[in-house]
Amino acid sequence: MSNAANSLAAPKKRKPTNIFKSDNPNQPQKPKRTKRSDRRKATENGIKALNPNWGYAFVAPFFVMFVIFGLAPVIYSIWIAFYNWDPLGDEQQFYGFTNFTDLIVDENFWIALRNTFSIWFFSTLPQMIMAIGLASILRNPRLKGATFWRTILLVPNITSVLAIAIVFGQLFGRDFGLVNLALTYLGMPSHIDWIAEPLPSHIAIATMITWRWLGYNSLIFLASMLAIPAYLYESADLDGATKWQQFRYITLPQLRNTITFVLIVGTIGGLQVFAEPLTLGGNFSGGDSRQFSTLTLYLYEQAFVNNRWGYAAAVGIFITIIVIIISAINFAITRRISSEDNDK
Amino acid sequence: MNRKISIRSAMALLVVASLTLIGIQPAQAAKTQVTIWSFGNVIEPWGETEYERLNPTIDLKIKKNSMDANHQSLITAFKANTTPDIAAIEVSYSGFFRNYPKYFTNLSGLVPENDYLDWRWAQGVAKDGKVIGIPTDVGGLQVAYRKDLFAKHGLPTDRAAVGALWPTWQAFINTGKTYVSKLTTAEKASCKTKKVCYGFIDNAGTMYPAILNQGTKKYYETNGTLIYENNAIVKTAFTTTATALNSGISTRINQFTSDWNAGMMKGIFATVLAPAWMLDYIKQQAKSTSGKWDVADLPGGGGNLGGSQLSVPIAAKHPVEAKNFIKWYLSKEIQLEIFKRYGLFPSASALYNNTALTGYKDKFFSNAPIGQIYVTGARQLRPIYEGKNQRAIDNYFGQALAKVAVGKMTASAAWADAIGQIKKNIRD
Repeated sequence: MSNAANSLAAPKKRKPTNIFKSDNPNQPQKPKRTKRSDRRKATENGIKALNPNWGYAFVAPFFVMFVIFGLAPVIYSIWIAFYNWDPLGDEQQFYGFTNFTDLIVDENFWIALRNTFSIWFFSTLPQMIMAIGLASILRNPRLKGATFWRTILLVPNITSVLAIAIVFGQLFGRDFGLVNLALTYLGMPSHIDWIAEPLPSHIAIATMITWRWLGYNSLIFLASMLAIPAYLYESADLDGATKWQQFRYITLPQLRNTITFVLIVGTIGGLQVFAEPLTLGGNFSGGDSRQFSTLTLYLYEQAFVNNRWGYAAAVGIFITIIVIIISAINFAITRRISSEDNDK
Repeated sequence: MNRKISIRSAMALLVVASLTLIGIQPAQAAKTQVTIWSFGNVIEPWGETEYERLNPTIDLKIKKNSMDANHQSLITAFKANTTPDIAAIEVSYSGFFRNYPKYFTNLSGLVPENDYLDWRWAQGVAKDGKVIGIPTDVGGLQVAYRKDLFAKHGLPTDRAAVGALWPTWQAFINTGKTYVSKLTTAEKASCKTKKVCYGFIDNAGTMYPAILNQGTKKYYETNGTLIYENNAIVKTAFTTTATALNSGISTRINQFTSDWNAGMMKGIFATVLAPAWMLDYIKQQAKSTSGKWDVADLPGGGGNLGGSQLSVPIAAKHPVEAKNFIKWYLSKEIQLEIFKRYGLFPSASALYNNTALTGYKDKFFSNAPIGQIYVTGARQLRPIYEGKNQRAIDNYFGQALAKVAVGKMTASAAWADAIGQIKKNIRD
């Protein structure tokens, strides 16, 4: 009994030392091993009364839901990707790999892929910089009404995408939009067509996404900034570091894991951009020249406009493959970053 | 053992609690809820409140969606048996749903077939002869024009004289050229400097469906084979529209955008190809221009754009109540009332001699005999066959024309582009 209590308490005790991880590089491997063996002992002695099979019951809700809403649709999609699938028809025509071979040579698909990455680029990177900046402002202890500012940061996030799209549609109107009006006052001679031109339309959509997610990401950065131990800044102050140097050499390196996290979540979200281009263009082709057609929009267009469900399923499988590749890259980068942390 | 029992009783308590919660219903549960999936203004507010007043036991639950989304969710709802009691289906989608009669209740005999325009009725008949939809309105198409702007640019303002300006679409384009040649220098320059282009028509792309609908077939033969590539009217509609787009008579505004609403108020354009159902929209959006509008005949004879039908899916929970509502709402009397209130032009041809319809005038449109104008137009219409993937094919032609409009492609290149896209993307 005392053994178990010990092992449960032990990691808690060790925790403060974990923060100093970077200071004593040779420590980290050891405690993990003892922890694992202790845990086995804990089940043998301490919490014996609890039937281990209950564990399955506790995780079951997730897995049941996952099988119904996650796995089953995936298998179904793979299945119909091999057919010329008529959504309401009775008999389906087997197609073999036709949908996949068609897709590889489908220029519209590659346009959608290009657009998706372009929009992702314009929405993720500026947003990250702004979010870190905002978080640093909110972190300032001299800021008045900090809770108020932190709360209203989330307002864009809970606003309906449709409402955002309507408002931004007005802002980015070519003839009478506010953005163009402002540009005119700033001396830009001609109006930018925010919808018909590829690059401006990507920027318009990226602005919508940024506006919506900026506050959310700022709060994530803020949380991890608040977790940076204050003594680092204090010692930097003593050493005479400027505010910028403190930011550059303390805050940013400490945020590295959070940046990776935000980047991964942003990338996954970026690959699924759907509502913004749909509502901006008002149709499923993403503008008349497909200038802002995204991957998910293209999938939807094939399924629900052209009634080619099999082909749409093939598009879905390709999106999955792309996500897997990007996740693998992300994973590799994250691993390198964390090992760098340990090496220091 | 003890613990097991307590967990079981906790589970039981949870189940009981949740059942009780489900059991609690709003106080007016006695009313029958008839669910309707609609879009735009197919079910007008007056129709809803009036029917609920006349039938206190019925509660109409209308879920409005955008036009395409309405039909797209219907497809999934059919698959999942989660359909509403009544579904509104637009004509451009009727060709699709006609192929799947098994998902619809037979509505034959619900209303007197002879009351309705025969070709509109036929659009609600499935390929096996089952009546799956009753027609709501006819989107009779005319030209709404700004009298004040016509006068300013040296054109006649009288609606008969205006109609005489454009017996053909080419004449319409020529009239437009006359109009834009008389724009002030500032107005002409505005297109280059501010990209606010003044024009004769809001968007010449709207001519494409207007011309196309003056034929009898579009992309499909009545037996379902695709003929879009060789059907002369498709090519004519496409090239005429492309000519119009290149002739500088069109602004670059898309319909139903904020720029369109603003343009209507500010007189950026002088004409709109307006189906009957659009008149109410113009009235609502451009209130300050009341009395400056008038309505003239469409070039090339009558025209049609849009129109819907009401259907009862086979999985409807209240098919009887649903049919009762359709019978009432689409009866000729109520269609007349809806026309007077909202301008939806009736599909009930039995009304076309009714003086209440033919004598109808509207102050907003300079007291033009709108009823008479649209009746004349509707009578000139010939039946038109709507095919399965027509909406998707329309999209590809529309996109190709948009490329002509922004100068990215020549008319012939755009035609080839559209044909290529359709061949690749449309299976049947």
